[in-house]
Amino acid sequence: MKLAKVDPLQESTRRHFFSQCSMGIGSLALSSLLAEVQMGYASGTSDTLAPRVAHFPAQVKSVIYLFMAGGPSQLETFDYKPKLNELSGQPIPASFIEGKRFAFMDSSHRVDLLGFRPQFNQYGKSGIWVSDYLPHTAKIIDDLCVLKTCKTDLFNHAPAKLFMNTGSGQFGRPSLGAWVTYGLGSVCDNLPGFVVLQSGPRGPRGGAMHWSNGALPSSYQGVPLRNQVDPILNLSTPESITAGQQRQLVDAVRELNLKRLIETGDQEIATRIQAYEMAYRMQSSAPELMDTQQESAVTLSQYGIKDAQETSYARNCLLARRLVERGVRFVQLYHTNWDHHGGPTENLETHLPAICKEIDQATAALVSDLKQRGLLDETLVIWGGEFGRTPMGEVRESTGRNHHIDAFTMWFAGGGFKPGYVHGETDEFGFASIEDSAHVRDIHATILHQLGLQHERLTIRFKGLDLRLTGVEKAHVLHGLIS
Amino acid sequence: MNRSILITLTASLMVVLLLVQVPCCAGSEPPIAISYDRDVRPILSESCFACHGFDAESRQADLRLDVADDGGKASRVIIPGDPKASELIARIESTADDDRMPPPDSGHPLTPHQIDVLRAWIQQGAAYEQHWAFIKPVMPSPPPINSVDHPIDRFIQAKLLANNLATSPPADRETLLRRLSLDLIGLPPTIAQIDDFLAASNINADTAYRQTVDRLLASPHYGERWGRWWLDQARYADSHGYSIDNPREIWLFRDWVVNAFNADLPFDEFTIRQLAGDLLPSSTTDDNVATGFHRNTQINQEGGIDPEQFRIDSVFDRVATTGTVWLGLSIGCAQCHDHKFDPISQKEYYRLFAFFNNQDEPTLDFYPAGIDGVLIKAELRAIEKHIERLFDECIKEINVWEQSRSKDHLASLGSSVREAISIPGDKRLASHKLALMQASSQLPENQLSEQEIQTYQQLRSLLAATVKTMVLKERKQPRTTTVFIKGDFTRPDDEVTAGTPSVLHAMERSKGALNRLDLALWIMHPDNPLTARVIVNRVWQQYFGLGIVETENDFGLQGVSPTHPELHDWLAIQWIERRWSFKELHRLIVTSHAYQQSSFESAELRKIDPLNRLLSRQNRIRLDAEIVRDVALTSSGMLATKIGGPPVYPPIPDGVMSQGQVKREWTSSLGTDRYRRGLYTFTYRNTPAPSLNVFDAPEGQSSCTRRMRSNTPLQALTLMNDQAFFEFAQGLEKIIDRDGIVLAFRRCTGREPDATELAILARFDSLGAARVLLNLDETITRE
Repeated sequence: MKLAKVDPLQESTRRHFFSQCSMGIGSLALSSLLAEVQMGYASGTSDTLAPRVAHFPAQVKSVIYLFMAGGPSQLETFDYKPKLNELSGQPIPASFIEGKRFAFMDSSHRVDLLGFRPQFNQYGKSGIWVSDYLPHTAKIIDDLCVLKTCKTDLFNHAPAKLFMNTGSGQFGRPSLGAWVTYGLGSVCDNLPGFVVLQSGPRGPRGGAMHWSNGALPSSYQGVPLRNQVDPILNLSTPESITAGQQRQLVDAVRELNLKRLIETGDQEIATRIQAYEMAYRMQSSAPELMDTQQESAVTLSQYGIKDAQETSYARNCLLARRLVERGVRFVQLYHTNWDHHGGPTENLETHLPAICKEIDQATAALVSDLKQRGLLDETLVIWGGEFGRTPMGEVRESTGRNHHIDAFTMWFAGGGFKPGYVHGETDEFGFASIEDSAHVRDIHATILHQLGLQHERLTIRFKGLDLRLTGVEKAHVLHGLIS
Repeated sequence: MNRSILITLTASLMVVLLLVQVPCCAGSEPPIAISYDRDVRPILSESCFACHGFDAESRQADLRLDVADDGGKASRVIIPGDPKASELIARIESTADDDRMPPPDSGHPLTPHQIDVLRAWIQQGAAYEQHWAFIKPVMPSPPPINSVDHPIDRFIQAKLLANNLATSPPADRETLLRRLSLDLIGLPPTIAQIDDFLAASNINADTAYRQTVDRLLASPHYGERWGRWWLDQARYADSHGYSIDNPREIWLFRDWVVNAFNADLPFDEFTIRQLAGDLLPSSTTDDNVATGFHRNTQINQEGGIDPEQFRIDSVFDRVATTGTVWLGLSIGCAQCHDHKFDPISQKEYYRLFAFFNNQDEPTLDFYPAGIDGVLIKAELRAIEKHIERLFDECIKEINVWEQSRSKDHLASLGSSVREAISIPGDKRLASHKLALMQASSQLPENQLSEQEIQTYQQLRSLLAATVKTMVLKERKQPRTTTVFIKGDFTRPDDEVTAGTPSVLHAMERSKGALNRLDLALWIMHPDNPLTARVIVNRVWQQYFGLGIVETENDFGLQGVSPTHPELHDWLAIQWIERRWSFKELHRLIVTSHAYQQSSFESAELRKIDPLNRLLSRQNRIRLDAEIVRDVALTSSGMLATKIGGPPVYPPIPDGVMSQGQVKREWTSSLGTDRYRRGLYTFTYRNTPAPSLNVFDAPEGQSSCTRRMRSNTPLQALTLMNDQAFFEFAQGLEKIIDRDGIVLAFRRCTGREPDATELAILARFDSLGAARVLLNLDETITRE
């Protein structure tokens, strides 16, 4: 793919060169050199994060993807199926499950339907059904576009998460965030273009592969931001080095590199000079970003944050807003664990309501906050996991549900998705879609579309194929979801 | 072709035409001969074959454009010599969206120039050619060039001359030595080596250079440098991958590769041992270790999975990797359907699959030299039986003893006894039983001597120190192989037997069923048009940044044609004639002027040939991730030069190992293992060491035939702040204090600093200057 590049050398950096270059190089030579860089023949270099023009104009600039790792149950949250309670304990009609494969098939898989516990009510002007496990989400339901008929191909956690993130169950493919950053570059010159935040008892199954750059250059890899002294790996200057010494280092490296650039003519050196400048800026901008104590008490309580320095999903939601405010292209939050099989630490009785409570308030606060700040139109918020859960119960020590790939719920807010709208319908048990099934690749195509990227054109040549997020099978932009 | 076509050429296309030696822009225009293979096929392949190509399943309108005779239809849309009457031209020029080809939503629109090429091709008779890569190379003779000896240079300079370009002058001697050293052994030259080389060059530059080549090729570090190149392709890593990503032990394979390069094992033997070492008539342990090549697939240890699904996935990987590495073909594309671009049917894919479907995947115990593992195991087993028999005789007494222990007494017992007690009775091993008998004083006198017990413990520790490595082993009972519909292992279709694609050379029939050895021999057969070309191209790519064929993993119809086809074929044949010796191939390339010329660019050259495809200069290449580390280690005087052995754990930033699904400990190595070459750093596929990862080291997820070279702020943060690099700076600080800044500069860049550079460095104390030096673009670049 060839995309036009915009302004590869920042204005400020250029001024910096002129004012501080202390070598004996004529300003004429330097200015013509910089002019050449400016004219873009440096496009053969690997300044991979320079902003790029989309395939077509689009309103959406950033994405916040709230990934509910483990597979949240649609039946206890958004997909209201009274019939399930009526027939609880009875086997699901055989026609539903013939020829289907499930995880843990041999051990605990059951065919008996399992009723749900929460109360469902209709909320907002839209009257969309939401369970009382998510009271805050219910209040913003008129801002959400709820897709009840998501469908995926894989039913084990790691492959399914990879599929949701990369369009393939195989390890080593570029993730959605990498593709978006590859397609659009980054307008933020002091933070990475693709940032990952994590909360919950452990990392998502599959780990860093979910924010992999795959076949794309490593600059598109998601950068995990951590709630530690060093939010980004190697961000801090070594202990015995002062800030002034670090600046001197960056200056000297720039001067010597620029000298070598002039001698060798190699434009990669111009890119490296910029990389050092950005690295230096990151050293101050990332800690500033993480300093959530700057936020007002009202904002903190809106998100449900008790300690501004805590490590929690709620604080990650706030950080997500701060990131998109600063122009970061793609922010992905992972929250574990939604894998409610019915075991001692993962059942529907206590653990599902608890995790719903963990995410509910902050999620709603994030959407409201973005809206209030006028950022919701240009930001797309996505909520969902790698798959859903079966209407049939799993009965271990307590109750749970197995992985289910045929129909599950995700929602979208902002980003040009229709607010207060439900798309797709499932059958009486919520087992499969009966209307408007939306495959993962269709969802991907739609997300890219809202960013101004045509999924068939966003490609990279890899092992003889034009690799793309949506894969080889035909994907469709879900025009019904977008306004 | 007429003038109007020439006028529409874009700047980049000019270069393409220059490359193919088309006389252009001349006053009188001789017609440009369009070549199907060079000019037309890439267009059709990119924009048309997906629906009008080899794959019958997805073929539209019953029309094939990949062959001259498709049984009638193509002859109606292409009228040789008459583009106006050819429907193909009418359709690609159509302005109506529902009529135009390719369809507007295909994402592959034709440019006006591409349409011109297709029209000219039809005008000239619409001749098809067999794809170049499927035709066996024939030895070309290097064109005569005045006063140029080296055949490589004669090929290169003939093309440069045809385009009114010239080569660059030789790089200066210091640059050249550093280049050669980094390319052949992945380490920078020492100050003594630089001084020696400069002195010898003053006497006879050519001799000095050749002797240096010899010295470096004989260095044991050569195997580390080029072994890593192969390990990329072998998708080597030290963990199982997928979500759990447990550690695995397969570094003996890594050492096998390093040793094979150092011994200059001919590539045909190198190949046969890795693909089928277990099937060789007098297969040695080493040959079995080599089969680890195809055990570098991932293993899924997640709960709830179907193991057969992931066994099949690993076979898919083996087929795809074999195709990519040895044939330069994207065979994996035919897993779900006939290949859309290359003539490989889905059935042929599964015939290749059959070769890799008949293995068990055991772990081999590898004993140090002089130790007979079988004997040790037998001896150990005999003692264990003895212990167990004795234990059974006193089991009642032991039970009584065990139950009468107080908590305090239990806590006072030795760890081996406590461990034995914690294990349920039916799970206890001989070692547990022995510990219990000893602790309870139930060991009958004279039944088991002190010496026997000692021998027992010694044998056990010997076995515990045994290195394991993962290998392939052919099954006695072969599995049945079928086509899988859409590549789905739950949907078997027709049964198939092992075999190779019909577009390539035929396989010699052996007696009985075909196995991996037959496949390996087929790959290395002299009639194979691909393998030698594919590998010499990938070696060339290491030296110049890009291969002669830019698409180093795709020599199929979607691939890019070679820039220097004759040179490419000449190299391939030379390599075979030199008995597939890598060292000879390296010598051939690095002694050319093309390799030794300066890498400095001028703005003018850059305009004519921005990617330097004609090689009018060398290319500056940012070092591979491991070598970025190795150079810093060497410059700071900290490198531990030990070769081989288990992977090591240099310091990595806190928190890296918690990024995977399973949180792990990474205890940094102490002593010299902290300062080993990057090649030896333990690689978890899911959480690779960040300092290698940010410089684009592959993680072993799949075969990597060309590394990317990104250039990012995270690299800058690594070099400036990473704990390991800061330690290197402290090492270099000491050297500055001892030897001065000039010498330190030379250790990093291989050359003397000038006054400007010294003035900038003079602003710093020794540590500050050391940090500057280790952060220079020049330090991490091979110029």
